Amino acid sequence: MSDFEYSDEEADYFYDDEEEMDTQEDGSAPSDDDMDMETFNDDFRVTGKGKRKSYEVECEPLSKSDVEKLMQQDVDHISGIFGVDDTTASLLLRFMDWNKEKLIEKYMDNASAISISAGISQPSIPSLPPPIRASSLSRGVEKPATRRSVRSAPSVSAKLLTKTKSLEPFVCPICFDDTQSDTMSLSCDHAFCTSCWNAYITSKIREEGEHWIRCMAEGCSLVAPDPFVKSALGTDTATWERFQELLVRHFVSHNRNLKYCPYPECTYTVSCPSAASKSSLASMVPTVTCGASPDHQFCFGCAIESDHRPVICAVASMWLRKCRDDSETANWIKSNTKECNKCQSTIEKNGGCNHMTCKKCKHEFCWVCMGPWSEHGTAWYSCNRYDEKASQDARDSQSKSRASLERYLHYYNRWANHEQSAKLSMELHAKTEKKMEEMQITSALTWIEVQFMKKAVDEVFKCRMTLKWTYAMAYYLEKGNEKELFEDNQRDLEKAVEDLSELLEQPIEADNIPTLRQKVTDKTVYVQKRNEIMLEDTANGFLEGRWTWNGTVEGFD
Amino acid sequence: MDARLRRVNKEIADCKNDKTSKITLELVDESPFHLKGAFPGPEGTPYEGGHFEVDIRIPDSYPFQPLKMKFITKVYHPNISSASGAICLDILKDAWSPVLTLKSTLISLQSLLCSPEPNDPQDAEVAKHYMTSRSSFEETARYWTHIYAGGPEAKAAGKARDTPVGAVRDEIAIAGLEKAHVDQFEALGFERTKVIDVLRRLNYRGANVAKITEDRVVEELLKS
Repeated sequence: MSDFEYSDEEADYFYDDEEEMDTQEDGSAPSDDDMDMETFNDDFRVTGKGKRKSYEVECEPLSKSDVEKLMQQDVDHISGIFGVDDTTASLLLRFMDWNKEKLIEKYMDNASAISISAGISQPSIPSLPPPIRASSLSRGVEKPATRRSVRSAPSVSAKLLTKTKSLEPFVCPICFDDTQSDTMSLSCDHAFCTSCWNAYITSKIREEGEHWIRCMAEGCSLVAPDPFVKSALGTDTATWERFQELLVRHFVSHNRNLKYCPYPECTYTVSCPSAASKSSLASMVPTVTCGASPDHQFCFGCAIESDHRPVICAVASMWLRKCRDDSETANWIKSNTKECNKCQSTIEKNGGCNHMTCKKCKHEFCWVCMGPWSEHGTAWYSCNRYDEKASQDARDSQSKSRASLERYLHYYNRWANHEQSAKLSMELHAKTEKKMEEMQITSALTWIEVQFMKKAVDEVFKCRMTLKWTYAMAYYLEKGNEKELFEDNQRDLEKAVEDLSELLEQPIEADNIPTLRQKVTDKTVYVQKRNEIMLEDTANGFLEGRWTWNGTVEGFD
Repeated sequence: MDARLRRVNKEIADCKNDKTSKITLELVDESPFHLKGAFPGPEGTPYEGGHFEVDIRIPDSYPFQPLKMKFITKVYHPNISSASGAICLDILKDAWSPVLTLKSTLISLQSLLCSPEPNDPQDAEVAKHYMTSRSSFEETARYWTHIYAGGPEAKAAGKARDTPVGAVRDEIAIAGLEKAHVDQFEALGFERTKVIDVLRRLNYRGANVAKITEDRVVEELLKS
């Protein structure tokens, strides 16, 4: 029991949340639960930090700039191979959804075709020679005009901010304004005034969330490269940032190793290569935390719930599907129907006498004893055949079909109960805060010293979530020694959690505060330990392939 | 002046000055951003001779976002909803370009009438009709042009009047209805022409059949 030792020294309680967080953020890659552990008081630390537990998954939180660095690496790689500038490489990668291998293959196959599709260069029209104008001569070289120039590296050189110095005034074909002299055009020479470009690009980014911005001319397929977008947006840095965010999102959404943090307005990304493949999700629950806040916890593999440990994504979603389909219906069926014991059709009796005739198989039976009607003779309304063998058999077969329903409801009720309790813990939170204030008044304890209550509530919530999902898992586990061990762990955790819950509900009296504090702290540590055992054992079981699923698990891959 | 307003005013003026395209634009209310456009049905199509009106709304971010257009006149066309007039056309969606104008978009609608795209339908029922029987489809389209767009009386309908046996089927087909539906209400003792008229008015076709109750149809039949 040395692990659970509790010391009452003031010094142990002193810690600075903020400072710890700061060092964490600067340090490299804190693994997800370490973060939580860090904020814990030393008293509550059960295991030493550093070693990753088997139910934790290796992941790396990335800030927006970290992802941008990754993008830049890909861009550098491509520009190095193809000998093109960064902007071109970036457009090519975006066009191919950041699939480098495919891009290299396609580019080597036909560089000009992919440059045209990617909106970097214009398709050449063989019958019409490109218009030769003094200003376009320099750019003419960049356009792969003939097949021979296939290997020539295209480059994006947008014509930025050209002051038209021709004699006739420029009339923008979009706003019909002839007072503006600043125009911009891509290498296609479709010139529009700067304010129209600005409005167009802003509307694309802001309203459509589009990062792939084509030239405004009808049918022109050139795409605005980043420097062009930036200069068109001018001083509107907010939209430029939004544009960059769209690029990052596009990159993240096409990279299997990365996931965007789903919390509102969070710009962090999590890299978790070990959970990238679908097959890996059969043996792990990749619960990850993004770098922005330890509360930003989510499952890398699915969107079911932020933390559905210990059960794996596929089983969790199967369970939820079953619950959605079945629970209410199942409850109703259980209380209102019986099954015909010949054909197992479910029958609702909505009136009339007890002489039932199954609509499907025409089997006649007694609703009360479920025995065949033929044995009832003329005893129409007073069924006295309760103990007869036939009705006994009938009930047996009925009970068999009911058993599976009973079984499901057993797990479902417990699952739902923990869910409900976890929801109620929000209330408990408020109540606990009040109690903590009370304690500070009635006893000599300081704010920091009454934090044990809050920690206990947090722990109860966490464990209830674990417990909830253990019931989903147990429903699908095949009977046997392994399941029994699993259920033993489940029972121990459940009992510990209930004990701690009860302690938290106790009224507070000034003289029992020290003992209560002692008890709650001990219990919290114990519960925490039990939760860890539960998670650890299940995770190890998945890795060792120890869990066998019962027949109800269908379509499981 | 606001760039959008300047542009819209110029577009309206351009359209007024252009006599060759036969496209007209008029204000619906005080705002220049809600217009009614109209153009004649293209020659050599079932829509020839018709006058088609289009409701046009100009969004705040015009011309950077596409115009919102729908037909006011009922059109029997695979890419135009026979119930709402909604239009399935790429330039009104992702293929929009800010250089497109009210006039050029209306011309595009006109050419959509010439060349339907049944593989990308707005109205699946009409598209099915188009794919299975072109001549029957064109008959109905011509009939609709006549009824709703003020086009000349359909030749086929005139012919049908001479041959009473074929007339019954044709009348139903060109109204775009199903014989079974007409028979159903005729069996209740209503006149066939009345049934066809009411069902056509209620747009008793395709998915609408499920939405309109029989009682509703009978009610309308009794009223008419």
